[in-house]
Amino acid sequence: MKEFELSKRSQTFIEDLRVYLFSSGKKEEEIDEIVTELESHLMEAEKRGKSTEDIIGKSPKKYMEQLSNEMKIDYKTWLKYYVIIIAGVFAITIIGDILNGPISYSLLEIGGSLVISLLFIMLTFWVFRLVSSRTLTYGVQGLLFFLLAIVPLGLFFGIEFADRSITTPVIEFGTIGTWVAGGITMIFLIGVSIWAKTFILPIVAAFLTLPEYLLGFINMEEEAMLIWSTIITYAGIGAYLLFSLKRTK
Amino acid sequence: MKGILDGCLLSIISEKEVYGYELAEKLEGYGFHSFSEGTIYPLLLRMQKEELVTSTLKKSTAGPKRKYYSLTPKGENELKQFKTKWSDLQTTVNNVFNKKTL
Repeated sequence: MKEFELSKRSQTFIEDLRVYLFSSGKKEEEIDEIVTELESHLMEAEKRGKSTEDIIGKSPKKYMEQLSNEMKIDYKTWLKYYVIIIAGVFAITIIGDILNGPISYSLLEIGGSLVISLLFIMLTFWVFRLVSSRTLTYGVQGLLFFLLAIVPLGLFFGIEFADRSITTPVIEFGTIGTWVAGGITMIFLIGVSIWAKTFILPIVAAFLTLPEYLLGFINMEEEAMLIWSTIITYAGIGAYLLFSLKRTK
Repeated sequence: MKGILDGCLLSIISEKEVYGYELAEKLEGYGFHSFSEGTIYPLLLRMQKEELVTSTLKKSTAGPKRKYYSLTPKGENELKQFKTKWSDLQTTVNNVFNKKTL
């Protein structure tokens, strides 16, 4: 009696609902509450031979929206994600630049990063909501995630490009300032890793910055170096993701 | 039809503390067949927000904790109002059907 398993459809719905509500910015405790409640309802209903549709209706999307409309948006949590992502972006940038000596950033770079990060979060949550509430083919899903990765990257390149022709005030950190910024960044990366129980941020930072730096010690042509460091960066991040995915399963 | 389901939920909850599945079953038992059971949860969420009902988590003999709903004084009031409105509406509609003018 106790070990009754939910049908695949219901399980998928429950998982999707969690993602949908999460990416709609709802409070975690409230999400937990309604998800557990629905899960046990589905369980009891299925034991008595009812189908998923008998409970949630024909359109999961509509039902998710109905639930979402009655739940408050948790702006504090949104802000938390924003701060973490923004800090992550700055941390990775700073670590990369520090190896090349004293750092300095223009207002355009700083402002651009803030805006792009906000855009990235909104885009991510939008994609999450889309993927969780509709039945999309793997192709469309892949395309959405590709867009999610390519849009901020393109915007960052755009900012870098614009920064060369548009002059905005530059904040110089100087030697001591650079050391202090580096120290704070390191502490932040370690802190976030411990808090979030994942080393993804420092590892991504390392793979993004170290290959180019280390290859700089070897006598190599610039083109070859660029190619090799890019390969090591993406292969390294990919391998790490695969490794951590396998470990959690 | 929207407010009507709300009124029925309030009425069932007023009799005794119930949890979601029980609530849906009772509605069906009274003859509500054409709705999907999950419809009650957005309504329950709203009624909680409006402080018409409160909920407590209780252990169940099988499986996870259940969320039991009960009426607040505000909810009792709302139910009273609903009952008056409903009987007014019923009389009016019957008058229309029976071609009875006041």
